[in-house]
Amino acid sequence: MSALAALKMVKVPPNSASVGEARKRTLEFFKMACRSLPSVMEIYNLDDVVTVSHLRSAISAQIRKNAHINNPKVIDLLLFKATEELSNIVTHSKQRHHVIGQYVLGHEGLMQDMGTKDEGISEFLKQFYTSNYF
Amino acid sequence: MATVSAASVRFASLKPASRSNQANGVTSGVMFVTIGTSKLGFPSLRSSRFRVHCAAKPETVNKVIDIVKKQLALSDDTSLTPESKFSSLGADSLDTVEIVMCLEEEFDISVDEDNSQNITTVQEAADLIEKLVLQKAEAD
Repeated sequence: MSALAALKMVKVPPNSASVGEARKRTLEFFKMACRSLPSVMEIYNLDDVVTVSHLRSAISAQIRKNAHINNPKVIDLLLFKATEELSNIVTHSKQRHHVIGQYVLGHEGLMQDMGTKDEGISEFLKQFYTSNYF
Repeated sequence: MATVSAASVRFASLKPASRSNQANGVTSGVMFVTIGTSKLGFPSLRSSRFRVHCAAKPETVNKVIDIVKKQLALSDDTSLTPESKFSSLGADSLDTVEIVMCLEEEFDISVDEDNSQNITTVQEAADLIEKLVLQKAEAD
């Protein structure tokens, strides 16, 4: 049901009149995304990799990254792309490694097998990727 | 007098009206019970807000508080009373929606659009959850 609703919105609704309406649409999109999360978990077999709350916070982090924008047309376009992404995921047009790489793993996620090779490494090198100052 | 208090409960949206309800004490609580759900038979203890149909169970309130703490990443010693508003805890509108979604998932209910607009404090969330859980149990 959420996939059908998502596809319906891809038909470009008229522009939001104000930031308030754009905000309402964003929250509506967020609710729709959250409600489709259980089916996403089932489609991609993510049950032993991540929880629904983790995915939910990943989605809200992405929304929050653009929270400073004031132009309703820009917000509409961002919502359009977000809906497109959501419908791609829900209709299984993406694959498991896409979903895991984009929404489950954080910035250090791909480098997590540090293991025994890096045990004697210096503090400087450990924080090399994060910042200059520590 | 009883009908007047019921009418004022339904339509008034000002705090002074609810305070006059509080003056009626147990009577208004009993009115709440007959209007709303009849399974939970205790009168409303938190009658300072007119929207409350019946007091939410403490374990529900505690669960809501736990979820709110986890979502907003608050430390364990911040005191969360049922009356604390989400915005005073540093939550913006997206955080509020996220908390509502988390509660939806936790209690397996689904909150409508117009219901979710009104949730500003922990107590309101707990009451709404109770109501929806009861409705769901009746519908099944």
